[in-house]
Amino acid sequence: MNQPIAELRDVHKTYRQGAVEVHALRGLSLAIEPGEFVAISGPSGSGKSTALNLLGGLDAPTSGRVLVEGQDLGQIGRRRLAALRRDRIGFVFQAYNLVPVLTAAENAEMVLALQGVGAAERRERVARLLAEVGLAGMEDRRPDELSGGQQQRVAIARAIAAEPAVVLADEPTANVDSETAAMLLDLMGRLNAERGVTFVFSTHDPRVMERARRLVRLVDGAVESDVRR
Amino acid sequence: MQLTSMAWRNVWRNKRRSWVTIIAMALGLWVMIGYAGLVRGYLRQMERQILDVEVGDVQVHAPGFRDDPSLYRRIDDAAAIGERLGAAGFRASARLLGAGLAAAEDNSSGAQLIGVDVAKDAQVSAVHDAVDKGAWLDPKEPAGVVVGRYLARTLELAPGDELVLLSQASDGSMANDLYRVRGILGPVGGGVDRGGVFLTEAAFRELMGVPSGAHRIIVRAPEGMTLPAAKAGVVAAAGQAEVMTWRELLPVLAQMFDAVMGAMTMGFLVVFVAVGIVLLNTMLMAVFERIREFGVLKAIGFGPGAVLGLVLLESAVQTALGVGIGAGLSLPTVWYLQRYGLQMGPDEGITIAGVTTSRTWYAAPNAETWLLPIAVLLFVVGAAVIYPAVKAALIRPIEAIRHR
Ligand SMILES: Nc1ncnc2c1ncn2[C@@H]1O[C@H](COP(=O)(O)OP(=O)(O)O)[C@@H](O)[C@H]1O
Ligand SMILES: [Mg+2]
Repeated sequence: MNQPIAELRDVHKTYRQGAVEVHALRGLSLAIEPGEFVAISGPSGSGKSTALNLLGGLDAPTSGRVLVEGQDLGQIGRRRLAALRRDRIGFVFQAYNLVPVLTAAENAEMVLALQGVGAAERRERVARLLAEVGLAGMEDRRPDELSGGQQQRVAIARAIAAEPAVVLADEPTANVDSETAAMLLDLMGRLNAERGVTFVFSTHDPRVMERARRLVRLVDGAVESDVRR
Repeated sequence: MQLTSMAWRNVWRNKRRSWVTIIAMALGLWVMIGYAGLVRGYLRQMERQILDVEVGDVQVHAPGFRDDPSLYRRIDDAAAIGERLGAAGFRASARLLGAGLAAAEDNSSGAQLIGVDVAKDAQVSAVHDAVDKGAWLDPKEPAGVVVGRYLARTLELAPGDELVLLSQASDGSMANDLYRVRGILGPVGGGVDRGGVFLTEAAFRELMGVPSGAHRIIVRAPEGMTLPAAKAGVVAAAGQAEVMTWRELLPVLAQMFDAVMGAMTMGFLVVFVAVGIVLLNTMLMAVFERIREFGVLKAIGFGPGAVLGLVLLESAVQTALGVGIGAGLSLPTVWYLQRYGLQMGPDEGITIAGVTTSRTWYAAPNAETWLLPIAVLLFVVGAAVIYPAVKAALIRPIEAIRHR
């Protein structure tokens, strides 16, 4: 077995809202292997978003450890954590969250620009990438000139442009119709198969779960089942 | 994609709000620049009135003269003091002062007799420029006098009319002589307007029997010398005589000068607090409605510095436009105010503390007229933007992404 690319070890996460404590995760352990295509399912409130946020270093666990490529996120400083997010983790959000004033190409190349990749190389890589996600010819469109599915393709291109170790996608298909959802799933599946991009996404759509090659089901902040197919 | 081009596009996302911000800055700046130009013009005008026409920067008197302005309290070595002052770079001219009675046909009135060295006096005083009707003194015509405007009105005098001056000469005898009015002054200042009669030095000495010495030396400091430095220089040259600056001679007026400066500062504050509130408001709105966006930027790798830079650049773009428009608008405005002025009061001018100022304010701009308001605006922008910018920079992505 390879070293896991991202891992939660006995993670607890407790939110405090005034006097009320919400136990979002209760001893969750989960290891993501390189090249996997993992769906995290479970009822609303079962801790899917919390788990993805912890894997992405956006939040810290109350107890337990989070490791990305063997590095314990609790042991590194804020600066290195931000750099690690930029270089090793891709994010896809439910609401696309593209920068509205930037074109599709500019959105997609953003992380590369932050990494200091030169303009010419950025343009070339992003043009190829946008063609790969099916947006050839739409490089110069603004998000408001694209459909929801197209915007999510740009978001996927943005997430994988810098070739991260893992792409974390929180309900990436929740805002689109089922046909578009299927197409986005096809796209992610193809990027996983052809480029070896590791995907972890959450969903509560059964048709999306069917496509996953590993299905983790959370209930009350812990793994109820973990099936590889 | 550069941060600057992103900032530029963000500015134009909400065109209306950005224009409100830019116009608030431009209007504030425009008003402030016009105001600064006018206030400087007003102060210069007052200074011209007071210092140029009547008072000078520093005056020298014999000890005790100011409490008891007697003909006998003279600066005996006035000529030597004048030479020492000249050598030290000052312009100086001595005047002779006396009280008397002016009579013309059926009317008479108390008069303040002022004997001047016509050539030297022109270097320290602009009173020779203040002649409204007729002409200024001429040493070649010792019988010619120039009178203040209210005195001329009281005595119903016109240039060419005869005037008798009566007084007591220094030997105790009755002094009187017949003169001819050469000129009538325009507004100069309370005392001179009501009773001033200017004579040539020779005519005064002759009438009053004062062969030497003088009562007052009016001193002008070289350009750029501070008042305390000027006083020290004059004290060094004046020996026993009493030296006073115009601020000491006219404390009420000095206070008023300071009050005008204070009012200008207050005006600046009011305008810029108003502009600052508009800015703070629009910047806060611009940041808070984009919390999610900043959160996403930070999640995918923007550091706090980049987000801070983005927000600061956005306000820099707006500030540059505001300054450009405001300063651009101010050019014709200040030009107009400098040329045509702003009508501020009644036709005959306003007299405060014995000094009459013109009813029209003219702007007297210099580089500071623009630089000071711009500097203050930049400071206000900085103060207004720092909180929203830091707020945006420190957004935690996890909270921002949950935010709706
Ligand atoms: N920031 C927060 N503050 C308080 N409670 C939270 C916060 N985030 C999540 N929760 C709570 O934690 C639980 C798990 O939430 P989440 O991870 O969003 O679940 P899911 O994504 O599976 O719907 C829920 O009960 C939710 O209300
Ligand atoms: Mg969720």
